[in-house]
Amino acid sequence: MNIEILAPLDGRAMPLSEVPDPVFAAEMVGAGVAIEPLDTDDAVTVVAPVGGSIVKLHPHAAVIVTDDGTGVLLHVGIDTVGKADIFEVRAAEGDKVAAGDPLITFSPNAVRRLGLSAAVPVVVMDSAPGSARDTVSGPVTAGSVLFTT
Amino acid sequence: MSKANQIVEGLGGLDNIVEVEGCITRLRCEIKDAGKVNEKALKAAGAHGVVKAGSAVQVVVGPTADALAEDINDML
Repeated sequence: MNIEILAPLDGRAMPLSEVPDPVFAAEMVGAGVAIEPLDTDDAVTVVAPVGGSIVKLHPHAAVIVTDDGTGVLLHVGIDTVGKADIFEVRAAEGDKVAAGDPLITFSPNAVRRLGLSAAVPVVVMDSAPGSARDTVSGPVTAGSVLFTT
Repeated sequence: MSKANQIVEGLGGLDNIVEVEGCITRLRCEIKDAGKVNEKALKAAGAHGVVKAGSAVQVVVGPTADALAEDINDML
């Protein structure tokens, strides 16, 4: 495989091991990179990191499967399941999307005010731990390459 | 035995399960006795990993989590 995974939002890229969640940190779901969103109350739009079909779309998370069957998960914040009121869904399950199309809008600081991490892990599902290549760290902008799988 | 059944067994049986919620790739389970949770059995059932914190047990099962949670809740 040689698929470029794009940053779904602006922020600071960091290794999954820095995510305050043991499942993502140990890459149990798969390898990838996380983004710590900007310090802002403004609405931020999370965009598709790859093109493909949206097979799962929750207020706080999405799974896109590319045409060659690679599943990419993004999870907005940690332990944000059930906090639907702070997220606005901008697409629907079953939609075909291009990389960069909007998925979810939210305010990073609204997540932080709940006492939760706003980190956004971006993970290639079922990929071997450590298998993300060309990983970026530090400041990133939405749509730039985050890593390659 | 179905995968859902295997996971129920690994969690210590239906009587040991308070609640199961599917969240994209993991089952978030509230259980009664953490000592009855069998990580080996859960991994044999296909779990990538198991994270225990007191009575909360997360079983990482991949994209079938939501469907598995429904199956398990149907049994409860």
